Amino acid sequence: MPADLNNDSTPSRPTLGSLLLKSQRRTFLGVDKQKAIRFFFASNSSAAVIVLVLIMLFLLREGVDFLPTYRHELETYQHAGLEFCDLVEQPLAEHQQLCSKLRRVLSASLNTITYQARSRRDAAYQQMRDVEEETRLQRAVLTNALAEVPPAALEKLAQLRQELLTATQLAVSRLAVPPSLTPSEGWQLKRDLALLSPESAEPPLVLELLSAAYIRVDTEAHASFKPLVEAVEAFEAAPDELHTLLNTLKKHARETKALVTDFHSSGKGHGRKDPIDFASRITPLTSRIPELSGRIEAYAQRAQTAAASLPPQAGTPQATKMLSEMRAMLPGHLTEMRAAAGKLPQWSYEKRVSYFKVVLAFFFGDAWITNSSWQDFFGFIPLLVGSVLIAVLAVLIATPLSIIAAIYTNQFASVREQDFIKPVIEFIQAIPSVVLGFIGISVLGDVIKDVSHVSWLQWLPGFPIQERLNMFNAACLLALMAVPTMFSLAEDALNNVPRAYIDASDALGATKLQTVFRVIVPSARSGISAAVLLGLGRVIGETMVVLLVAGNRIAIPDFRSGLGVVFQPAHTLTGIIAQELGEVSRGSAHWQALFMVGIVLFVISLLVNWCARAFVRRFELSKS
Amino acid sequence: MPALQSPPPPPVVQVREMDFCYGSSIALEGINLAVERYRITALIGASGCGKSTLLRCINRMNDRVPGARVTKGEILVKGKNIHDDDVDLTQLRKQVGMVFQKSSPFPKTIYENVAYGQRTHGVKSKDILDDAVERALRHAALWEELKDRLDQNALGLSGGQQQRLCIARAIATRPDVLLMDEPCSALDPIATLKIEELMHQLAREFTVIIVTHNMQQAVRVSDYTAFLHLGKLVEFAETDALFSNPRQKLTESYLRGTFS
Repeated sequence: MPADLNNDSTPSRPTLGSLLLKSQRRTFLGVDKQKAIRFFFASNSSAAVIVLVLIMLFLLREGVDFLPTYRHELETYQHAGLEFCDLVEQPLAEHQQLCSKLRRVLSASLNTITYQARSRRDAAYQQMRDVEEETRLQRAVLTNALAEVPPAALEKLAQLRQELLTATQLAVSRLAVPPSLTPSEGWQLKRDLALLSPESAEPPLVLELLSAAYIRVDTEAHASFKPLVEAVEAFEAAPDELHTLLNTLKKHARETKALVTDFHSSGKGHGRKDPIDFASRITPLTSRIPELSGRIEAYAQRAQTAAASLPPQAGTPQATKMLSEMRAMLPGHLTEMRAAAGKLPQWSYEKRVSYFKVVLAFFFGDAWITNSSWQDFFGFIPLLVGSVLIAVLAVLIATPLSIIAAIYTNQFASVREQDFIKPVIEFIQAIPSVVLGFIGISVLGDVIKDVSHVSWLQWLPGFPIQERLNMFNAACLLALMAVPTMFSLAEDALNNVPRAYIDASDALGATKLQTVFRVIVPSARSGISAAVLLGLGRVIGETMVVLLVAGNRIAIPDFRSGLGVVFQPAHTLTGIIAQELGEVSRGSAHWQALFMVGIVLFVISLLVNWCARAFVRRFELSKS
Repeated sequence: MPALQSPPPPPVVQVREMDFCYGSSIALEGINLAVERYRITALIGASGCGKSTLLRCINRMNDRVPGARVTKGEILVKGKNIHDDDVDLTQLRKQVGMVFQKSSPFPKTIYENVAYGQRTHGVKSKDILDDAVERALRHAALWEELKDRLDQNALGLSGGQQQRLCIARAIATRPDVLLMDEPCSALDPIATLKIEELMHQLAREFTVIIVTHNMQQAVRVSDYTAFLHLGKLVEFAETDALFSNPRQKLTESYLRGTFS
């Protein structure tokens, strides 16, 4: 009983005020039952928030060290002189492309002469392989019997030989002689093949004759394209001296880098400055600038001379076209090489690498090169382009599918159809993405490739395609995965269209179709947009399918092929994390780079979801 | 005189001995009703007596409700049985417009809302549409208020304006009959007053049938009143007569409010 402040009251009777204010509840540590229950519920609802915050914190903790680490790597790259070598090495890489173009020109040209002889030889060899394949069983038995250590009985061997002979003759009798062979050659071939036995090491005489004929023709072809052959060889050999010098310099630079790495991995370098005397290590490189420039110039001149000696015409029109393409590319390449030579004297190993440059190198770097013996680069653009292209393509495919299905199911389908369609579409969500990946690899890839070789479809961009695993394939499967999400949300949006709109439209004499397309769908527009965006969010975060099906080539796709770009392989943000995180050492620059990718992915997903929410909010506002 | 001997004009809407069922439960039974041209007819009665159902029978809005059907009798609009096989629902609803209890402008511009009916009937000409929109808005006494913001979203209008917009939308197709299902029940008294004034104007060109639970409203606006009770039409008479001198006991007790 608290002391009464009121003087009028007697001690035996509590005042009205104290009765009202005194809590009747029992408390434990100042918390009564009501508060405890409230606290319990609040803590459950905040668990999700806490977990989300923790995820962000851990991602940041692992990823944020990336910038200093990568900066150190880039500094080493510069201090040790690797950058110096790359000044020349990178433009020189184009020489390889030019060479491969020339090689193709050459082989196409030679092919015009050698084609017949080669196909005759190949056809004959194919016949032999066919026969061997058909008699594989009998041959294996005979070979085993011959190889037995106590030799098999002669009668048995003879019997096996007879069996093989019979089988061979049967196989030969079924052969259709290819039209490229003359009848007499075909007859000889059949005769020789019929006697094929595992003991004869040499191929039948006819085949040898055909091979010899081919070699003869090939030599003739080389002779008749002599100027082209010589020019190609000269062009290929043009940078040999430059390569020799460059390799010496690269070796030195790599040794310097190894010194730095050893120093740090031995633990001594913790927090201290590199004790390596970069100035003296770099002199062997910079002192050879004149020599290097000289060799670059020599290379340029030799390449030019070789190109000038190329004949104007190649063997086929396509080859001639490729030849002129190569000629058009050459001046640019040589200018770049000479520009690189000009840059060498200005290069300094001491320039500071700012954080700004590191951020640029990550977010706008066009190369993701890891586990390189030369230098790792963590450029994010190839992955981003792959992810975005695949996701956008998937959404483009999935949107019409799911929206139209939602409109049909919601507005036109009978109850029985609805009961069938909805569970089926929602079931797609239950398919493990790995299984979809199987389908992409084993079925869809082949189907797409086969279709792309159909002759009357060649007008489509990118056809015929080379890679079975490509962005389009992945996008198709991702579209399938996005359909349930988009379908359900779009259907909800259509369902949420107020009944009154439909009544009003009906009462105005609109037909069902008019009501659907003039009132219901426009009213659900925001909800449908949100469905599309959430589908995009679903697709951009998907990992397994893209890892299995997208082809995993880490390079910015070649947009010069227009829309056909979608048939190229690519790698993605999600795929690279799944593929590489298990194999990198914890805490390395590579590890941290992957976490940075994770952070970016996280941010992209947040943005997409936020946009979807914004759409839904707008939708709800307009409804009220 | 020949003028006197000529028969009275035929009713625009005539309901004959109609039974109406939702599945197995009977909602309306033995309804007989003849609605005269250019008059306002009010349907009154307690909640659930079937007055809205009767209204929705006239433009066959109940068609979409599963199990709902007319089991006996017929409904004639301008002398034509609306359940005949050759009746096109679109044409019927073009001639029988409807305004609902809850104002429901589409989330489109004011212009598009009013033009919606014409557009669904295939009118594409901009001139005809402009003309129809202006006429309908003038009829609904909205033209002066809204003529400068026809391209704004209709959801930005006030409740009373929205309901008048719905009326404009319904009359833009120039129907003969306008059905109104408690059009003022969600409005404040001033907006209600405006709609009631509007209805007198509308009755010059349209035949109006209105469902209302507000008996004062029925007195104020209607020429004829029908009182329904438990799915049956109890009494149908001129409004003044029905309210001042009801012939049925049931009507009298309902009007007095001593309803058991």
